[in-house]
Parts: sequence; C-alpha cells; structure tokens
Amino acid sequence: MIDRRVVEHFDWGLLLITLILAGLGLVALYSAVYAGNDPSLRPLFVKQLIWLGAGMGVMIATFCLGPKEFERWTPGIYTGCMILLVAVLFVGRMVGGSRRWLVLGPFTLQPSELAKIGVILMLARFYARNATTRGLGFRELIKPAAIVLLPFVLIYLQPDLGTGLLIVMIAGIMTLFVKIERRTLTMLVCAGLGLAVAAWLFFLKAYQKQRVLTFLNPDRDPLGAGYHIIQSKIAIGSGMLTGKGFLKGTQNTLSFLPERHTDFILSVLAEEWGFLGTVFLAFMYCTLFVWSLNIAHKSKNTFGTITAVGVTAMLFWEVFINMGMVMGLMPVVGVPLPLVSYGGSSVVTSLMSIGLLMGVSMRRFKK
Amino acid sequence: MPSHTDNTMKRVKARGSLIALVFAMGFLVIALQAVSLQVFKQGGLSRKAEVRFGRSDTVTGKRGTISDRHGRPLAVSIAAKAIGVYPRKAATIKNVPKAARQIASLLKIDARKVERALQHPKYNWIKRPVPPEMGAAVAALKIPGVEVHPFHKRVYPSMELAGQLIGASKIDDIGGRNGLEYRYNDILSPTTANRTVKWDGNGNPVDVSSAPLDEISGSNLVLTIDANIQDIAESALKEAAVTHKASSGMAVVMRPKTGEILAMANYPGFNPNNFGAFSGETRSNRAVAAGFEPGSTMKVFVVASALDSGKVKQSSIFYCENGAYDIGGFTFHDTHEYEWLTLEQVIKFSSNIAVVKISEIIGKKALHNALKDFGFGQRSGINLNGESKGILTSPSNWNMVETGAIAFGQGVSVTALQLATAYSALANDGMLVKPWIVKEVVSPNGEREKTFSSPGEKRVISPETARFVKKIMASVTEEGGTGVRAALSDYTVCGKTGTAQKIGPNKRYFKDRYIASFAGFVPMNNPELSIVVVLDDPRSGGYYGATVAGPAFREIAYKTLDYLHVAPENESIPEKLLLALKSEEKK
Repeated sequence: MIDRRVVEHFDWGLLLITLILAGLGLVALYSAVYAGNDPSLRPLFVKQLIWLGAGMGVMIATFCLGPKEFERWTPGIYTGCMILLVAVLFVGRMVGGSRRWLVLGPFTLQPSELAKIGVILMLARFYARNATTRGLGFRELIKPAAIVLLPFVLIYLQPDLGTGLLIVMIAGIMTLFVKIERRTLTMLVCAGLGLAVAAWLFFLKAYQKQRVLTFLNPDRDPLGAGYHIIQSKIAIGSGMLTGKGFLKGTQNTLSFLPERHTDFILSVLAEEWGFLGTVFLAFMYCTLFVWSLNIAHKSKNTFGTITAVGVTAMLFWEVFINMGMVMGLMPVVGVPLPLVSYGGSSVVTSLMSIGLLMGVSMRRFKK
Repeated sequence: MPSHTDNTMKRVKARGSLIALVFAMGFLVIALQAVSLQVFKQGGLSRKAEVRFGRSDTVTGKRGTISDRHGRPLAVSIAAKAIGVYPRKAATIKNVPKAARQIASLLKIDARKVERALQHPKYNWIKRPVPPEMGAAVAALKIPGVEVHPFHKRVYPSMELAGQLIGASKIDDIGGRNGLEYRYNDILSPTTANRTVKWDGNGNPVDVSSAPLDEISGSNLVLTIDANIQDIAESALKEAAVTHKASSGMAVVMRPKTGEILAMANYPGFNPNNFGAFSGETRSNRAVAAGFEPGSTMKVFVVASALDSGKVKQSSIFYCENGAYDIGGFTFHDTHEYEWLTLEQVIKFSSNIAVVKISEIIGKKALHNALKDFGFGQRSGINLNGESKGILTSPSNWNMVETGAIAFGQGVSVTALQLATAYSALANDGMLVKPWIVKEVVSPNGEREKTFSSPGEKRVISPETARFVKKIMASVTEEGGTGVRAALSDYTVCGKTGTAQKIGPNKRYFKDRYIASFAGFVPMNNPELSIVVVLDDPRSGGYYGATVAGPAFREIAYKTLDYLHVAPENESIPEKLLLALKSEEKK
C-alpha cells in the first residue's frame, strides 16, 4: 500500500511546471485552431483537453505505481511496444507516405511515442544492474545496443527517421550518464560519423536527403520543402520582441504556418507573444529539466535515477529538436513539442514521463 | 548485482552535471537563434510577412450596357468566371490526364485541349467565360495552378435584334469588334483598378478591399431605337425578303421631327452572341454602309427642287411622249404610255420621261445642288461604323443622258439612312433634321452623363413646296397610284416606290436584277414616322418596289402607329361616343 511518506513527498513543484507548460500549449493551440479560417481545425482544441485529461490519468497511475513496479513490468512493456511497432507496419494508417498511426476506434495511436518510454525503461533496467565505476566496455554495450536497435529499425521502416534517431539520442545520453570507457566512447564516435556518411550515401531516402538539403538552404525550394522553414522563420521573426498579440498572428490566421497546431505550435506562440513568449517557454522547459535532473540526483533507487535521466533526456531532445527545427536550425522532422503540441500520443507519453519523474521524486527517501 | 553499490551510484550521479552541461549548451543554441530571429532579423522578417499576404490585384470593371430608348437591354455584361492555368503551380499536378478529364467533364470541352492548357509553358486560359457555378465547380477540384478568376460575359439577350447596329464585343469585354460596340468602345469599356488583396497560405483571398466598381465600369448607352419598333421592322423586312426571295434587305424607321432613329433593320440577321458564324457582309450594318441606286424614290426631290426654284409651277403639265423619249441617241421609257401629265400624276404614275424633262428645265447644276441639300453624297453625321457617303458625282461631268438618269435615281447611289433622312425633310415641312441614334450616356451609378439631340437641322425647301409635294405623295397610295399596296385605311400614307436596275460588276445594268424600295412617311398631316424599305434582288412574286417593298412598308407603318397610339386621321368618331360625350358636358 502507499506509504504515508510517499504522499507527503508529493512533488507539487513538478506538477506546477507541468500545468504551466500545458497551459501555454493550450493558449497557443487555441489561437492556432480558432484564429484561422479553417473550421476543420476547431474541434482539435476540445480533443486536446480530453487528451490532457486522459494524460493526467495516466500520470497519476504512473506515479502511484512507482519505479519499483515499473522495473518489474519493464520487459513486458518493452515487448508490448515492439509488438505495436510491428503491428503498425502492417495495419497502420498511411499518412503522407508513412505508416505511423494505429487506428483504435475514434482515436489514433502513435506506437513510436510509447516506444520511447519502453526503451528508456528497458535501458534503465539494464544499466541499473550493470553500471560499473570504470565505465561500460564494448561487450557490455552489445545488449543495450540491441535494445535500441530493434525499435530504431522498426521505426525507420515506417519510415520515421526522426523518431528513430531521437531514441538513439536518448539512449546516448543515458549511456553517457552511466559512463562508458573512454576508448569505447572514442571508437563509437568515430563509428557514428562513418555511419552518418554511409547513411547519406546509401541508406537515406530521397525525401530525407531533400529535407537535409532544404534545411541547409531553404530558398532552394521556397514553395515546396523549404516552405515550412521559411514561413516559420517569418512568423517567429515578425513576432519581434513583444509579439503581435493573442489571435493576431497573421502568419497563423492566414494559414501560412503549416502544421501550426502540432509540430509548429512554437511559431504561433512566438509570432503572437514575441521574444518574451519564446523565452518564457524556454525558461519553463529549463526549469523542468533542472527539476528533473535534481529528482534523478536525489533518488536513492538506481533504476529510478536512470529512468529519470532517460525521461529528462527524452523531453530535452524533443524540445531541442522541435525548437531548432521551428527556428530553422535543424531539418524538418516530425517531433512535437512535449506538453505543448497538439497530439494524443505525444501528450499521453509526455505526461506519463512526468508521472515517472513524480513517482521517483515521491520515493526519493527509499532505496 | 555486484557493482550496484552506493559508491557506484555516487559516481554515476556526479555525471548528472555533464548531462546538465549538454542541456545547457542545447538551450544556449536555441536562445541565440531566438535572439537572432526575434531581435536582430525581426525587421526583415516582418516585412516578408507583410509582403507574403498583401499582394496587389487588378480588377476590371463591367462593360456598359446598351439599351433601347425605354431601357430594354440589347447588350449586357453578366458575371462569369475565367479559368486559367498558372504553369509553375500546374507543374506540380501529379496526374495531368486525370485532372484534365475532371476539368473537361465539368466544362464540357475536350479533355485533350485541357491537357494541353495544363502543360502550356505560359499563363493561358482553359475557357472563358464560363458560368459562375461552373467556375465554382472547377475551383472545388483544387487542382494546383488552375485558377478561377472573375470575368464578364457579354450577352445579347435579344439575339439577332438590331444585331448589325449593336455589333459584338471582344471576349475580354474590353474591345468592340463592330457596330456600336466598336464605335462607342471608349464609353462602354471598363477600366481597371488596383486593389490590395490579402491571400492566406492556401492561396484563398481574404480581406479583399472592395473595388470601386462605379468608377471602373464602363458607361451605358441608351439608344433612340425602340426595341418593339425594331422588331416590327425586322419581322416585316424578313417576311418581304423571304416571300420575294430577295438576297438582302434593309429598313429604317425615323422620327421626322427629331431625327431619332427608331429602328434600323438588316436582312439577313446577325446574332452578336455568335460572331464567328456570320460573314463580314452579313455583320455589316448595310442600312448605313451599303449604297444602292434608288430609282424612282428620287423623283420627289427633283420635283420639289424644281417647284422651289420657281421654274416649275404647281399647275405645270408635262408631255410624256407616249412612253419613249429620245435624247442624245438614247431612248428613255415609261412603263406605261402617257401623253400629258400634271405634276401630281408624274409622281403618282412615276413617269421617267416627265422627270427627265423637269431636270432639263432646272439644269444639272440645280439638280446636283438639290440632291446635295437633301443629304445625298455625304455622311449623315450619325456616327455609325462604316457609314457610306453614297455616290453623287460632280455635275460638270454629267451629259444629258446621265443627268436625266440621275433625275429618276439611276447613276446615283444612296444609303437607306440618307433616303429616310431626305424623306423626313419632306415630312417636316422642308426642314432637314440630321439623324441620330445614341440618346444618352448613363454612368455606372445611373447618372446621366450626356444627353444627345440631333446634330443639326437646316431648311432645304420652302414649307409651301414641302406641303405640295406631300399632297402629291399622298396620291401615290391612292386608288390608281403605284403605291396602293402601302396604303392604310386609317392614316394617309405619303410615299414613293422605287424599282432600280441593279448595276453589275462590269458597270453595266443587269437586265433582270432590281432593287425594290418604298420610302415615305405617315400620317400625312402630322408625320410621326418616316420609313424606308429596300429589298435587294427580289426573285419571286414581282420585282417592283410597289409589290415587294410596299407591303412591308405598310406592315411597319401600321404596327408602329398602333404601338405608338398615334390617333387615326381618317376615323370618324362613333356616334355613340359623341352622344356620350355630349351627355357628359350637360352634367
């Protein structure tokens, strides 16, 4: 049963940060779906509220169960995620040339979002049992590599290289955290660079190369692939210091911003609330990350610590990639802004990871 | 778990700061970019945002309406759509044949033509104009590069009615091809205005500043034509032409006192809605553009000027040589053999010989001047496209035979409009009123911009002479006159028949080809209408002006007088009505 101390140690600060971020997301989403002249977007606001509700439910369930329970279930969760990833390749809904969505009645589920959590838990479980002070060597890295590679390949096949690489990057942070041998690290970095060159030459599909090239020079194709970046930069830049005001962003209301309710929600926020809005959002994310690294630090449970680091890494990479992409620093990949972008799978996964952090935080006094 | 010790954990946790450092670097990069975009580059990016959604667009107004004197529309522009292809966007169509088929089935045109248009390297039109609902259907397909623009379609709702007079406009509503559409193009044509349109990211216009349509639309023309009278004239002309198998015909109805043209008809008709289907000959307004030899309809002017000069008296009589008069080795003939004829009989029986003798009395110079005074050999000033002067050569070259021939209307060429104008002068007690056809120019917002009247009037013969000639002309339609078929029971018709031999391409007269005409005015005492009917080359049921053109004249006169509610001259007021009026007075 739940320890009284667990309840007393409830992390109100983390809840507040979460609610502020979700609130900022709702403000931007309201503008994105109501200010434009596309009525088909309007129902999305209420849907997002429903998702947030559902996500809160998942979050509460997650922190009630706590990291110990999760550690026990980790192999099952990981296996379930892999099954879903296989299923989506066969019965997933085709959207824009890739199969990323499973249709479950009125809802759609993006298994790759859940797979991030699955991989974090699985890796945390492995590292918690195998971390050493001298660092991990090659042999100890084979298993974690397999844990990461399986979902990466499945997600790559959808194809969704962005999310696949995101999982690798999360795993990278977690592995750095538990320490690897210097020799191994050097070799891995070299191998990674070699692989990147090989990937460009042999594996990347034309559209992926196109995205990278367009990212490097958006004016190559201003009406096509470069359109997103150019429009997004115009929106952000024209927001200037204080923004154009709520519901007043012209890039937003005149439908110049593509995917403005999902991946490009930051452009809406930046256009309407300006530099101050952007900085405030970034500040809230920083606070979240400092807070959660602190949770990782204070936890006495190794699995909890590594899970907290993994979850933080996931949120960080998502924020970094999304913001970088929207501001034209990175190629356009389908990574939403956690807690802010519209999207059920993203909201539920993000709140579930907050739940994991809370679970670790509440049990910080326990081993 | 051997290595799972507190010591390991402490060391591992120490690495948290490394992770924090990675995070911090990430945020630094993001923050720097935010500063760069929102603080340093904001000016340029803001301008880009303005330019992206605010674009200038040219709007074309509507072409002016042409209507008859009572505002009945003869040419109107209605809202339509034009479907164009913007090649740069159209290049992104995935399945061109399919897109072409979809568009073609909506527009009911050939799919191959649409396919060519979609692949054309320059901006081009698939079809214009198309009805608005068709345009909306094409827009709903959302095919990239296929644009639906506002456009106007010129429509001639009365089809062939006054077709040659009105003419047709070009497809873009801006230029006129012929007729009034061409002549008054500057007045009718719309202009363009620039307006700012804000476009959204889907390419749909939002927040369109409304165009000053009143300022950029063309002005409207109101004609002196009455659509009903035009229809009466065209129907009568067509009936006569068909009955007598004439190759063509024309009719003019004019108001003698004011010079207003009430109808100007041509046969065969021209439908401006279908410009290309007609030959240039059929499209031309022959009533003003085609000269013809008038024949005997000229005689009244010779008689009038002879009387006016005083060289011939109202009581003069002429010896008609029993039908054959020889001068200069040439013999003039009358259709019947006459001996002595009074002036009235000369016109009533249309004696050539008597008129030749009158021309000898007044001399060729006076004859020329008289014809010139009546408006022959010069443009009327009506301002219509392709107006012909007719042919009236200089009298110094006329020999006796030519002078005699001109006196009865051979060797001279006139237009139907000139004839109607000259007859109006006789009807108008000797005052020649120049004809006109555009009554008003009305601005797009309904204000009168210009009101026209006759371009001028002048006295050509004295009122006494005019009244005497009028009386003579009335005898033409009396029992025994050549024009009885033009007579009306309730009104006195003053008129003259004409049957001229047609001149061939080799300048020699055809033996068996004629131009049959009837010209005159009605009612005699207070003429409301002067009417000219001309039929070219009648081939069936006679060829005399009296037989061919007379009945058409009668039909036009009768129906128009009835339509205009002109009081009958010859009708006695019924006794019952008189009694009723008297009893009314007693009260």
